[in-house]
Amino acid sequence: MDLHELRRQDYTLEEISQEVLVAFGDFFRDQCPTSVVRASEPLGFDQNLWDRLVEMGTTTMGLPESAGGDGAGVIELALVAEEFGRAVAPVPYIEHVVTSRALAAAATPALDQVLAGAADGSHIVALASYPIQPGSKQLVPAGAVAKSVLGLAGDDLILYTVEQSPALVRNQGHTPLAWWDFDSAGSRIVVATGANAHAIFKRAHDERMVLMASALVGMTESALALTVEFTKTRETMGVLISTLQGVAFPLTDIATNIAGARNIARKAAWFLDNEPDQRPELPAIAMVYSAQTATHGTTNAAHFQGGLGFTLEADVSLYFLRSKGWSALAGDPSAHLVDIGDHVLASAK
Amino acid sequence: MDFALIDLDEEHRALQLEIREYLTELFTPDVFAQEHEFGDGFNKKVYEGLGARGWLYPELPATQGGADFTPLQQRIMDLELDRQDARIMMMRGTSSLPMSAVRKYMPSDMAEPILKACAQGQAVMCLGYSEPDGGSDIANAKVRAVQDGDMWTINGSKMWTTGAHVSTYTFLVTRTDPDAPKHKGITMFLVPLDTPGVTIQGIRTFSGERTNIVYYEDVQIHDRYRIGGVNDGWSVLHGPLDAEHSIGVDMSDGLTDLSIGAGFCKVLAGSIVEVAEWANKTTGPDGRSMAEDTRVRERLGAALVEYEAGINTPGPMGRVRASDALVKQSAILQDLLGPAGLLPMDEEGSIGNGDTEYAHRFAQGTGTYGGTVEVFRTIIAQHVLGLPKASYPGSKVFLAGKKKS
Repeated sequence: MDLHELRRQDYTLEEISQEVLVAFGDFFRDQCPTSVVRASEPLGFDQNLWDRLVEMGTTTMGLPESAGGDGAGVIELALVAEEFGRAVAPVPYIEHVVTSRALAAAATPALDQVLAGAADGSHIVALASYPIQPGSKQLVPAGAVAKSVLGLAGDDLILYTVEQSPALVRNQGHTPLAWWDFDSAGSRIVVATGANAHAIFKRAHDERMVLMASALVGMTESALALTVEFTKTRETMGVLISTLQGVAFPLTDIATNIAGARNIARKAAWFLDNEPDQRPELPAIAMVYSAQTATHGTTNAAHFQGGLGFTLEADVSLYFLRSKGWSALAGDPSAHLVDIGDHVLASAK
Repeated sequence: MDFALIDLDEEHRALQLEIREYLTELFTPDVFAQEHEFGDGFNKKVYEGLGARGWLYPELPATQGGADFTPLQQRIMDLELDRQDARIMMMRGTSSLPMSAVRKYMPSDMAEPILKACAQGQAVMCLGYSEPDGGSDIANAKVRAVQDGDMWTINGSKMWTTGAHVSTYTFLVTRTDPDAPKHKGITMFLVPLDTPGVTIQGIRTFSGERTNIVYYEDVQIHDRYRIGGVNDGWSVLHGPLDAEHSIGVDMSDGLTDLSIGAGFCKVLAGSIVEVAEWANKTTGPDGRSMAEDTRVRERLGAALVEYEAGINTPGPMGRVRASDALVKQSAILQDLLGPAGLLPMDEEGSIGNGDTEYAHRFAQGTGTYGGTVEVFRTIIAQHVLGLPKASYPGSKVFLAGKKKS
């Protein structure tokens, strides 16, 4: 850690990024009210919303121009993720986008057909969280709607494809989780080998952490907004509960955490786009901090709506259940902390 | 967005080198030793040395004793000062608040020599805001100033006047109309601290920093030392207060710290690096390197996450977040070091420069000075979340206990 490095600390979004944020904010507000989120349960997938999202160019924007995409960076994808999370939209945005990008990075002709299907949204792809061991199954995020899953087996990066996605396993976050038995997958394509395989897989995980971090920021902000409004109308003993410091101060902590988590996620995205080797620990930092922010934020947002916040009927429950239901898909924060710690130790040598 | 290294041209690179060399000359071991012993947040040799080159407040025009530094040059200077020891520069930060008020409100024949002495490092100024029975509620000031012709008589006491014992002036909040609502009966003065009737008594804090209680006993001050209108002190205070709370600062050039708690984070970073270096060269009781111990790895990871949280959270929120980060993490990092983590620098067997032992003591003040974190949470509740302002019995109190009829 060189604390005295002369780097810019400019967090202001470029005009084009600002436009992405506004466009997707509008899109999800119009197309994904909480009624759509509720109607998608328990699968957590809405085909109509997915089709509209594809029409918006979401599945191609992050692909390189050589693969028919728009060459957008992680930063633009992270801004979309923020709005996606704000709506807790029932679509496999993060899994599909980072896996498509990994497939495009591998640039194997054998993948052309899958990539074309991924680009037009008809063939959903996902990422295995852990290295694949023979004879063992894995819970795969978006695995119940994905036709292909990218995973690391030994030193090979392999794309496993099935005719029919495996069945949903119901889960706390109402996401399309499914057990994948890779041994019985119909088709397997070796996408990359050796160091290249590890590099592509790691990059995809880093991108997933940054996009998830951004999504959790948006999600927490939605929960906070509901609770802020609630506390401005709810009275106790003749005063609005929002005037009580015991209520107001914890809410300010949520807002404070959100503000920082958003900036860390965006900064991590910037480094992935511009200087990926400089701050390799930032994606994990973004992930851990957003997971903490979301857990703490949605827990308290539900709590400050009292008993009402504990009911399924209250929309704040949507965010509370997904804060863990989504963040847990990107790995145990403690494991990430150990990795971050290793980075600190290595740079202090 | 831009987090890139700034590619300096030859001219700026030369300036950076010149600054680095000059600071290395100025910050001799005795400077650090003095700060360690007395906790002044000030050093005469360093301040005068910087002032001689216009580098103490280099952002000021050369005609005002500065160096016409651009924001980039200013950033270069600040990072180089951080490399040395930011603690010693505390009184510079404190002085810059009243300096802007002096420039704005005092007649120029009065203001110029005062500002010149400050720019040259020959004078620093302290803030006479808080009082013994109320810290962060500045508008509650009870130090009384009574006018008689051209002269004012000041009586009362101020607390937490950090740097009073090294300052030439104090920027004093006084009560001039006890019958008016509390924000409307305040007048500001710039009081020379060598005026008869002023007594300064040191208070040591467990961070090592010295602060003071200052007594004012029939202190006679000419009306020329008044800053701003009589009973208009609250609007005079607002400029400096806003600056202290980082309100309305333009950061789009990326040359300013985003968080006003960034300074606290530097102390945390010092401790993180110290613990990591210690772990790398220390063998645990089981014969393995402490760097392989999962407790150490996970806690260092957590501390770095908190460091990033502190520096990446904007403005007033960043101050709260950075303080929380430092308070919690410094305690945890110190635990990792075991009993040796309790030893201050220079004791036999102390770890590193004692940065972790220091960080844990220093941390506790960061939740209080410049306004407690609760004051800041109140600001965030109202200005970020738009929550209604709470009404407290004391918020519009008439200090004399009766309303003016």
